[in-house]
Amino acid sequence: MSIEHGGFTLNRTLPASPARVFAAFASADEKQAWFGFEGERLDEQSFDFRVGGAEHKLGRMPDGAPYRFDAVYYDLVDDERIVYTYDMDVDGRHISVSLATIELKATDAGTELTWTESGAFLDGFDEPQWRVEGTNALLDNLVARLSAARA
Amino acid sequence: MTTTHGSFTVERLLPASPARVFACFADDGEKRAWFQGPPGFVEKAPRSFDFRVGGEEFNSVGPADGDAHVFRARYYDIVDDERIVYAYEMYAGDARSSVSLATIELAPEGRGTRLTITESGVFFGDPAEAGWRQDGTEQLADAIVAHLATAAE
Repeated sequence: MSIEHGGFTLNRTLPASPARVFAAFASADEKQAWFGFEGERLDEQSFDFRVGGAEHKLGRMPDGAPYRFDAVYYDLVDDERIVYTYDMDVDGRHISVSLATIELKATDAGTELTWTESGAFLDGFDEPQWRVEGTNALLDNLVARLSAARA
Repeated sequence: MTTTHGSFTVERLLPASPARVFACFADDGEKRAWFQGPPGFVEKAPRSFDFRVGGEEFNSVGPADGDAHVFRARYYDIVDDERIVYAYEMYAGDARSSVSLATIELAPEGRGTRLTITESGVFFGDPAEAGWRQDGTEQLADAIVAHLATAAE
């Protein structure tokens, strides 16, 4: 039994207003368009974006491994801030519990997004660095989505 | 809107077995003995304690004539005598003041137990609050030490 603690902060400038970026997190359809990985399969999901609400996903990773993602929303400020916790299973093993904060600030170019996470990674089934890479990939999806929506 | 992110680790070497220390967190009566506000605080709302994965803990205490300090936790991972992972939020009155991820790790060391409390939080009020939380957690760790000493007598 072990816990590895790890955290990261990622910043992106997005070509869209804070309201538009917030909607990418707050709407089930919008979020589904970018919050996932190429080759992933989704078998079950629910989305209840409000304080105390839960988000749930069951599916398979691109390599076929079954996964579970469950989030609980703790603090929401429209167009400014989203705070949630989430935990994940892969292959039936509890791999991590995390606290995530998304902060949005209007800039001349659009929105400055700051994504801060702290995680407890359990029993060596996942690593903090993989989570950084995964979140960067999700942010790439989000940038592409917002750029395309604008074009 | 300002947010502050903070994290800390608090450790104690405790003169008790991991099972005994685990009970301080897992048993309602045991936890109630040390997990308390400062002297003079009273219970402002009925507390609840459901120590299992997915279970919640709630308490609300404060000065008789002042705002409640509310603690609400959700347990995410529990391994008997070894570890506890939970998330919690705190309110000052009606205002949410923080959301945190906490882990409790217990490891046998010598004839006792090494307790490691690790927390990461996001704080919505005074930027100094992250530091206060660490101070408060040091005090709670001292309260566990005192509780185990009393219980051993």
